[in-house]
Amino acid sequence: MGQPTVDEVANAMFDLVKATHGKKNLKAMDLTKAMIEKFGADAVDKKLCKLAIRQLIDSGRCIYSYFGGSFITLPPENEGGG
Amino acid sequence: MAVAERKTDIGPPDFHQFLAPIIKKNYGKWAYHEIPEPGVMVHVAESGDKLYTVRAGTPRLLSIVTIRAFADLADTYCDGYLRWTSRHNVEFLLTKKENIEPLKADLHKMGFPVGGTGNSISSIVHTQGWVHCHSSATDASGVVKSIMDELYPHFVNMDLPAKLRIAFACCLNMCGAVHCSDISVLGLHRKPPRIDHENLPKLCEIPTLVSSCPTGAIRPATWEGDPSVEVDESQCMFCGNCYTVCPAMQINNAETDGISIWVGGKVSNARHTPMFSKLVIPFIPNNPPRWPEVVEAVVNIVNVYAKHARKHERVGEWIERIGWPQFFKLTGIPFTKYHIDDFKHAGETYMRTTQLRH
Amino acid sequence: MSEKKRATPLLDELKKGPWPSFVREIEKSAETNAMARDTLGQVERSYEDKISHWKHGGLVGVMGYGGGIIGRYSDLPEEYPEVAAFHTYRVNQPSGWFYTSDILRTLCDIWERHGSGLTNMHGSTGDIIFLGSKTEELEPCFRDLTEHGFDLGGSGSDVRTPSACVGPARCEWACYDTLDACNDITHTYQDELHRPAFPYKFKFKFSGCPNDCVASIARSDMSVIGVWKDNIQIDQEKVREYAANGTDIEHEVCQMCPTQCMAWDGTKLTIDNANCVKCMHCINVMPKALRPGKERGATILIGAKAPIIGGALLATVFVPFLEMKPPYDDIKELAEAIWDFWGEYGKNRERVGEFIQRVGLGNFLEEIGLDPIPEMVAHPRTNPYIFFEDELEEEEDA
Repeated sequence: MGQPTVDEVANAMFDLVKATHGKKNLKAMDLTKAMIEKFGADAVDKKLCKLAIRQLIDSGRCIYSYFGGSFITLPPENEGGG
Repeated sequence: MAVAERKTDIGPPDFHQFLAPIIKKNYGKWAYHEIPEPGVMVHVAESGDKLYTVRAGTPRLLSIVTIRAFADLADTYCDGYLRWTSRHNVEFLLTKKENIEPLKADLHKMGFPVGGTGNSISSIVHTQGWVHCHSSATDASGVVKSIMDELYPHFVNMDLPAKLRIAFACCLNMCGAVHCSDISVLGLHRKPPRIDHENLPKLCEIPTLVSSCPTGAIRPATWEGDPSVEVDESQCMFCGNCYTVCPAMQINNAETDGISIWVGGKVSNARHTPMFSKLVIPFIPNNPPRWPEVVEAVVNIVNVYAKHARKHERVGEWIERIGWPQFFKLTGIPFTKYHIDDFKHAGETYMRTTQLRH
Repeated sequence: MSEKKRATPLLDELKKGPWPSFVREIEKSAETNAMARDTLGQVERSYEDKISHWKHGGLVGVMGYGGGIIGRYSDLPEEYPEVAAFHTYRVNQPSGWFYTSDILRTLCDIWERHGSGLTNMHGSTGDIIFLGSKTEELEPCFRDLTEHGFDLGGSGSDVRTPSACVGPARCEWACYDTLDACNDITHTYQDELHRPAFPYKFKFKFSGCPNDCVASIARSDMSVIGVWKDNIQIDQEKVREYAANGTDIEHEVCQMCPTQCMAWDGTKLTIDNANCVKCMHCINVMPKALRPGKERGATILIGAKAPIIGGALLATVFVPFLEMKPPYDDIKELAEAIWDFWGEYGKNRERVGEFIQRVGLGNFLEEIGLDPIPEMVAHPRTNPYIFFEDELEEEEDA
């Protein structure tokens, strides 16, 4: 398997956030470590993961939350504007 | 209507554009300064240029009405150049000496005291309290106002042995980092959160709540068949972080919240190395609107220090010279078991010598 | 309802006395702003109940950023509807808190358009604080700020808004350009400031001399404190002038010197500079006569914090002396090496100072590539529980 694109890593991160939603809060580093494990340290590094997180947030699929530490979570369903 | 392109990551504006011409000209080339009177400084450059600073205290919480009035004063007296200090004081930066008196008169009329320089008590660095914080164990602005009303003479005069720095934080999260001040006033919660089991599952996500506790005292549990949490009260140190995450974990308690007082900290490296503040009064109940017991306690410590310390000695240096037993004796503050540390490395603070004053 | 001013008998007590009153400030905004009116009402209610009526909200922010907005809601929204949502903005201040009247008016106009008209000048970390915004105003206010050259500061697990003392703009003791260093570092790390990716907060504070006017040694994860290496500059004529004007040089200066490295014979002050620890006391007492030396730079200290969670810490010396010249590559390399290691192994809410204690300063230094030196400790260890590593045995075998 070759090097995944930023979009592919972002999609994989999104799947992970969805899967753990309501069970475990993930920080940026948790996502990064999970991607390195998934794709292999040769294929992805911290830099690529950083770009993927930016993609994930800028696209609106995830947001940052603060619950005694900053996490990456799904946007709230009801409240707009935030 | 055309919407401008959304900008991000532009960072703060470059400070150079806000510097007065005299500052740009003499940047990094100041020779010395003097404090001709309380609240007024003159900085003399190697070029011989003189910059006059007039410093005034503020309540930190400012209306845009007041900020605009400060802007008008700056236009009238100093070509529009001003700044703030790290302790919430506003400073007007003048090149004309003759403008000092009229500026002071205008500030006086507006109710902003000129002072806070040299061996004085400067403005109290403080937090939000009931004006804007969810986890505050007390108000901040009201206590600070009440203390400064009494200590006002020490702001507008330079009549203390050394500078005296007071800081205030409304809970032990210490947004005001009060752990290194001459006198620290610190709000405390003293009871674990009260769990609203009925509403908790509706209001809060349990895994998030459990992970919010810095000491791991919160665990998932069931309450009358519904999911909820339980708190190991022996592990709770009343930080309120769970309440930050979950409004069903009410940490605030009108009956048991209150204020503690700490003394002898400093951050400056001058003479003695930087020191933490130490506990002297473990608890004083909240007594709004003016907290007379807290004010009295702070004023007492300031008075005893002013009477006994040597010139240039900060509070912590004075106490180190005379010893803590003497401090408690002079101030009349009772010593209790709460004063003795029982956290990590507590033993390092026990007295282990016969070098005592009798 | 919020159209008319409610009675606030308790807060009115705080309009009395000589110190400027925050209640009057809220009232000034309340004359034209309904949110400020309801703020007064709710704070009066807190004074009656002796309890805060705010709730935290962790999900609000501006698009793309994870910091800069603190979510806040009233727990009495029916009674104080105008402050039902009352979020805070941290607006990144210019270095050294310098302003012109024009830029202050610009900020006031922005805040009049979008919020309560109440501010803090400034917050504890140094930001300009806009207190109280409705959720739907967050994005428009952010656009308005950036249109006028301002951006948000940090909050959460990110680089927090760096701050600096007045520095060379007005202080003869500034041993490096604190304002420029602060501005440069802040701009370099915009991504780290807006997009939280750390275990917890990371603060930079820049002080120009060991008086440390921004309390960096007590409050910042990376504390940069100006210092000099060579001799204190003395103007003997001016020293005699201080003596003639009443300064007791023997008692006030020489005897208060922490290393007793000064002597005064009534006409001449001599300093054993090799034993001077650059504490600033003598210079503070006689600013016209004494000045820091000419070979200037900074000491870099790491890991200060307030008590939550593991207890308060003062910062630890990492680099005794560093030249401070743009583009500040040495500082950036050190910060990034720390972030790399702490970022990967730090626990949620674990500050760098606590992390160093957990892994051990010696191990930490090894990981970030700094050599251990005696300046880093008050004294060597007093216990014999040394974790020797394999290399020693290998040497013995060889």
